Amino acid sequence: MPPLLELSAVTKRFGGLVANKDVSLAIGAGEIVGLIGPNGAGKTTLFNCLTGYLHPDAGRIVFAGADVTHARPERVCGLGIARTWQLVRTFGRMTVLENVVCGALKRHSRVGAARQRAWHLLEFTGLAPKADVLAANLTLADKKRLEIARALATEPRLLLLDEAMSGLTPAEMAAAVELVRRIHAELGLALCVVEHVMEVVMPLSQRVVVLDYGEVIAEGPPAEIARNEQVIKAYLGEHYRGR
Amino acid sequence: MDGSSGRRRARLALAAGVLLGLAYPIPLQWSGYTYFHTVGFLVLINAMLGVGWNVIGGWAGQFDFGPQVFFAIGAYTAAILFVHVGLSPWLGMLAGVLAAMGICALVTYPLTRLRGHYFAISTVAIWMIAQPIGATWEFINGSRGLFIPMQGAQGVLGATASLQFAGRTKALGYYYVAFGLLGLTLWLLRLVEHSKLGFYFRAIRDDQEGAEGIGIDSRLYKVIARSITAAVFAAGGVLYGFWALAVFPEQVLDLNWSTLPIMATVVGGIGRLWGPVLGAVILIPISQIMSTTLGTGPLAGRGIDLIVYGVIIVLIAALRPTGILSLPWSRWARRLAGRPASGRLVGHG
Ligand SMILES: Nc1ncnc2c1ncn2[C@@H]1O[C@H](COP(=O)(O)OP(=O)(O)O)[C@@H](O)[C@H]1O
Ligand SMILES: [Mg+2]
Repeated sequence: MPPLLELSAVTKRFGGLVANKDVSLAIGAGEIVGLIGPNGAGKTTLFNCLTGYLHPDAGRIVFAGADVTHARPERVCGLGIARTWQLVRTFGRMTVLENVVCGALKRHSRVGAARQRAWHLLEFTGLAPKADVLAANLTLADKKRLEIARALATEPRLLLLDEAMSGLTPAEMAAAVELVRRIHAELGLALCVVEHVMEVVMPLSQRVVVLDYGEVIAEGPPAEIARNEQVIKAYLGEHYRGR
Repeated sequence: MDGSSGRRRARLALAAGVLLGLAYPIPLQWSGYTYFHTVGFLVLINAMLGVGWNVIGGWAGQFDFGPQVFFAIGAYTAAILFVHVGLSPWLGMLAGVLAAMGICALVTYPLTRLRGHYFAISTVAIWMIAQPIGATWEFINGSRGLFIPMQGAQGVLGATASLQFAGRTKALGYYYVAFGLLGLTLWLLRLVEHSKLGFYFRAIRDDQEGAEGIGIDSRLYKVIARSITAAVFAAGGVLYGFWALAVFPEQVLDLNWSTLPIMATVVGGIGRLWGPVLGAVILIPISQIMSTTLGTGPLAGRGIDLIVYGVIIVLIAALRPTGILSLPWSRWARRLAGRPASGRLVGHG
């Protein structure tokens, strides 16, 4: 069976800057993949290419058998890729419930059905007590959680999380990790997680991909990546060696 | 519980408003002085346009400064069909609405590549292009415009069917037609507000990238939003053309057909269904009353009313940018009724 998502030699340039260079990787159904790398390595750019906000200058992206290299975001979402944003993009003047209803309307065009689906996800993510709060008034942790609920409402098969835990307190981070685990275990989604905190991403991921200057420099199980000399030099630093 | 008593108060306010609106012209009609019917007609038509503008401007969050183009398209379509083919003005209104929506969709789709100020400026540009077309196109009589002949229909039903009221009942008839059209607009747009469209429009307003990420085609829904706005403006244009018994470019493409509805929306409460209605009730009479009370004195003529508008807008922008309707009316109503927030109504809701 072919993988759920397959990138072959994806290259994205901004003028002279090569933000993604010959990136090839695959994500299987139900897999959790960690995507790590220093700031500016091209992780967000890769997400933007995957979700149709940017289109690669070369290479091919195939999702569930469909070529999405040049697809628009709404089509990519319809095929089953959802994402969250490094800088949150919740709908500030709508309530928490309404935010998730907007996501659920992708699969249920009647508002009543979408509302029911949205309630279910608010309960799943623990946001139900805040259903009537305006999204603009949430804490950062809750905004990020809301983005996840809204993304789940589109009923994706692959969820891309772009630094869903950066800026959170340790307690909030632990709760977020717990949520990600439950999404994987109970909903059976494939996940690709961009994260900076190694203590979070290493235990969470089944496989880790390391980007540096837009290129994949290593790929493998977390334990192997933590011992990889090139990764330690480029990104992890000495303190994380061999842990 | 507060929700349901709040809802009941809102229904009460609605009922009071409807009754007041229906009764307003009656004492004036007895006295035979119908000038204020016309003021009421202008309030209603601007309220209706504001409610329509709210869809693209308040819900979808795209500033459209050129909706008067669709006001003109509606007015011209119905007038031409009436003059040349003898088509009923109501069918003409339907045709005008469809024509405006179609043209709006074609014109707006390319504009949706632009965002923010650039989109706003492009809607002004379309209006500027429409002016010389209206002034020179021979098919619609260029700058001379079209005159709508009176049909001399008999009775209330005949007059309503031909959208032509004359004599003592002219102002009264148009007042009630405008009242009905405003009601219809509010009813239809309330359905839109609570449908998928209403959710999608507001999602695009709050964060366009975020909206696209959950599968919303932002360009498509902006086109739909503006076409709904265009439909309301077209219907308003038809009504105005038959009221004025003439359609000519300078009149139907007047900038006031966008600035007054937009100001009414902002003052009343942008993004709120009823905001433009409240705004129009407050703003429109000012200009009418000023031009009558200032008479021919040194302050007469255009301008003073605009200064007053400007002051009101500045005050709203500084003190309550979300509009008058967003004030805590419900809390004040409770306090007025002598009920502190102790919830004595619990269980009666
Ligand atoms: N829209 C853009 N235009 C120009 N350069 C960009 C754009 N987006 C990202 N870049 C550049 O591409 C590189 C990769 O950025 P990004 O993908 O955001 O990295 P990461 O998410 O890994 O921190 C950076 O050097 C960044 O400045
Ligand atoms: Mg990034």
